[in-house]
Amino acid sequence: MNRPVLQIENARAYYIVENNYVRAIDDISIVIREGEVVGIVGESGSGKTTLSNVMLMNIKRPLSLIDGKVKLYSNGNVIELNKLSREELQKNIWGKETSIIPQSAMNALMPTKKIKDSILDVMKTHFEEIHEKEIIEKVQARFEEVGISKDVIFRYPFELSGGMKQRAVIAIATLLNPRFLIADEPTSALDVSTQKMVLKTIQDLREKEIVKSIAFITHDIATVRQIAETLVVMYAGKIVEISSIEDIIKEPLHPYTRGLLFSVVTPEPEVKKRGIYYIPGTPPNLMYPPPGCRFHPRCEYKLDICDKEEPKLKDVNGRKVACFLY
Amino acid sequence: MKSYALKPFLKYISRKFIFLLVTYFIAITIVFILPRAIPGNPLSTLLRQIFQQGQANPELIRSVHKTLMEEFGLGKPWYEQYIDFVTRAFRGDFGTSISSYPKKTLELIIPVMPWTLMLLIPSIITAWIIGNTLGAIAGYKRGSFTDRFTLNFSLIVSQIPYYWLGMLLIFTLSVKLHIFPGQGGYSQGTIPTFTLKFILDMLYHYILPFLSIVISALGGWAIGTRVLVIYELDADYVNFGELLGLKEKTVFRYIFRNSILPQVTGLALSLGGALGGALITEIIFNYPGTGYLLFRALSTLDYPLIQGIFIILIGSIYLANFFVDFLYALIDPRIRLGQSEGS
Amino acid sequence: MWLAMFKPLFKSKKFLISILIFIFIVLLGLVGPILYPVDPTSYAGPFERPPSREFPLGTDTYGGDLLAKVLNGTKTSLYIGFLTAVISMSIGIIIGPISAIKGGVVDEILMSFTNIVLTIPNILLAILIATYLKVRSAEVIAFLLGALGWPWFARAVRSQLLSLINREYVKLSRMAGYNDLRLAFEDLIPGIATYAFMSFILFINGGILGEAGLSLIGLGPTKGVSLGLVLQWAVLMEAVRRGIWWWFVPPGVIIVALTSSLLMITTAMDEVFNPRLREK
Ligand SMILES: Nc1ncnc2c1ncn2[C@@H]1O[C@H](COP(=O)(O)OP(=O)(O)O)[C@@H](O)[C@H]1O
Ligand SMILES: [Mg+2]
Repeated sequence: MNRPVLQIENARAYYIVENNYVRAIDDISIVIREGEVVGIVGESGSGKTTLSNVMLMNIKRPLSLIDGKVKLYSNGNVIELNKLSREELQKNIWGKETSIIPQSAMNALMPTKKIKDSILDVMKTHFEEIHEKEIIEKVQARFEEVGISKDVIFRYPFELSGGMKQRAVIAIATLLNPRFLIADEPTSALDVSTQKMVLKTIQDLREKEIVKSIAFITHDIATVRQIAETLVVMYAGKIVEISSIEDIIKEPLHPYTRGLLFSVVTPEPEVKKRGIYYIPGTPPNLMYPPPGCRFHPRCEYKLDICDKEEPKLKDVNGRKVACFLY
Repeated sequence: MKSYALKPFLKYISRKFIFLLVTYFIAITIVFILPRAIPGNPLSTLLRQIFQQGQANPELIRSVHKTLMEEFGLGKPWYEQYIDFVTRAFRGDFGTSISSYPKKTLELIIPVMPWTLMLLIPSIITAWIIGNTLGAIAGYKRGSFTDRFTLNFSLIVSQIPYYWLGMLLIFTLSVKLHIFPGQGGYSQGTIPTFTLKFILDMLYHYILPFLSIVISALGGWAIGTRVLVIYELDADYVNFGELLGLKEKTVFRYIFRNSILPQVTGLALSLGGALGGALITEIIFNYPGTGYLLFRALSTLDYPLIQGIFIILIGSIYLANFFVDFLYALIDPRIRLGQSEGS
Repeated sequence: MWLAMFKPLFKSKKFLISILIFIFIVLLGLVGPILYPVDPTSYAGPFERPPSREFPLGTDTYGGDLLAKVLNGTKTSLYIGFLTAVISMSIGIIIGPISAIKGGVVDEILMSFTNIVLTIPNILLAILIATYLKVRSAEVIAFLLGALGWPWFARAVRSQLLSLINREYVKLSRMAGYNDLRLAFEDLIPGIATYAFMSFILFINGGILGEAGLSLIGLGPTKGVSLGLVLQWAVLMEAVRRGIWWWFVPPGVIIVALTSSLLMITTAMDEVFNPRLREK
């Protein structure tokens, strides 16, 4: 197995709202290895974006890391991100070692500056001295690599189409060749044909070794299977299943994964065969999560134990699942 | 600038211009209608009064009466009166003053306008800059002591009318402590000239009215910008910028820039209220500006003068409005290059 | 349900302090004149006396009792503020929703009208109109200020309603055949209730400050006493430059305390109902 790039150990991250906790990340552990694309799926509200913030240690009020470790492996060193201050993270980690294509890439660019000027601002924070011309040439090359015209950097964000903006964000996020990249729902806001292109762009990033590993977050299994090898399924702030993508498509173990898979909108042959299906009910309010397995109120295979004890993530035929059925 | 980029800008600017022109036209129409619509037509009442007083100086009174009759066009059909009124207003002829007969209204207004502009423009801009900066810092440090202090201070200060603060300043700094002069635009007995001595004297008299406006006006800006900044703090570009490693200073600059832009149009909208406050402040300070002239016109019921002042002030506000919008369109690329508003 | 909604408000220190100040001033205006039944328009006292036991706020140039004037003036100013708010609010709450619900040409006409009224400076127009009115009661002043103050509110109501209208439950009501009026009252108005309440408070402020401004320029109420009129006479009689502070300080303090406590109430509400602005 490849060396790890980023590791989260028993993380709990809660939003503190009026003396109450929203348990958005509750005891989650993940390893992301070199050269790997890990898909993270779950319904909206399951804690994916919060998880991405934990991975980067971007912990801002009202979010708070209650417990757990976030480790970044960099050239043989282990850096515990949870021990760094925000300034240290900003100076040494963010943008250089790690980066993100944020969920709302449409509004992620400074609206009243030319893209070129935003980029120069980023460069100025990371390097003492910059040669503007040289940087612009490099940036333009990167823009062409992700499939947009190099003249785009002289435009304002609002002058670009959705797909162009998305790819500009990708180019900017990866300017400094970060080792670890998070893509948070990078295709959700786009139409189908643009989705395909953006997905290809992200795949290229890894093939060209611009980034080493990617965490690809989405609510749509059909998208993630085109790009990821490993799939992490989240429900209500917990991981319910971790498997290789083939295994999951072939045989989803957790009832929730099954529900997710069958509710895929994009017509995939295997899925289509089984007819349309949706998961009944809604995800729980994470301020008052149900006791035991958080999925039990919606689960059609509910056992007596399910509302009493919390299922642990356990190994089943080399796969991992948190469910009392196994 | 590439030529294609000019179009949205021109469109925006010409739309503003036409809107203001139409509104100005409506304002003039209101000036025309008001005295004629109010029961007992105050204008003709006034004329009758003047006519009845005709014993003292019959020659003069008759001439006043004749001029006014002509200017008001009483007795003519209303549409003729209206066309006459509007054409003369656009030519800058607002009639003849009654209290300072036979001076034209405009002749009286022109010398006092610079005083008002000189007082209002620098103080409004200063308040805008200080208020917005304070508000931005408070919003950026949301929840801190600085924030709470600035907010509460601004809340109270924003409710102090300029003129009442003026009274307090006169009472403390002038009457009690004798630091600043408490009235007038310059020392009594001097004649306005372009000498250093006079200019210094003028500045000395300028400080208190200037401060009254600046201090009371900055609170409102601080409150508004604070909220804008707080909303901006959660903006996606802020989050993305931080995760790219941008320094706090740079992020603050971004936030400041984007929160301040709406406040530029806010400035245009606030001008009317600010002018109203400044007029009263002038009265308090016996400052030789338009407010003082208006006050005199009101106490002598010099209707043509009141109307003239009104039309000119509204016109100036609209001019300033247009200028600010023009500036806004220049500095906000979204307007300059044409992105629909509100998205 | 309403009680539960307002409960967090009473945890806010800012809200409590400002509501106490506000209630205190309201009591000054409503109960004060009863407890201190001196005729504010009589001129029986000595001239320009500083505060003493006999005249707690001193007297003016004509021997008028300033405490009586301030107490009664507070009442008038509150009355004018309240009436102004009722008038502005009524106009805005009619125009905003009609514009939003009807849309199309109606919307365009109403909004052009609103923008024009918004662009003509209120205070100047109020001055001009007041000039021609020989008799100006408190009601006339309130009507004048109220009739000019509503546009920003109508615009805000319209845009808030537009975003509400696109929500699911309103669409359902529409499909269920609710007529416009029922739609407005059952689905939409409750959605903007807190905003309307806060606007009402700001309108009161507008009325109080507007009255003071008009009075200072000589266009205040032509009978009775108001805080603005007390200030006006202080200015006319050169009270400031002659050091008669007890004449112009108290009415100003009351105006500022009244309007800023009201403004604080709205910001405290904003912080409670609008989590992004919350302190801590
Ligand atoms: N700022 C916040 N304050 C309180 N709760 C929040 C906040 N942001 C997100 N949440 C809650 O945390 C949970 C996870 O949200 P999120 O990570 O955005 O999910 P996802 O990205 O999977 O849609 C949700 O229940 C959401 O309501
Ligand atoms: Mg998300």
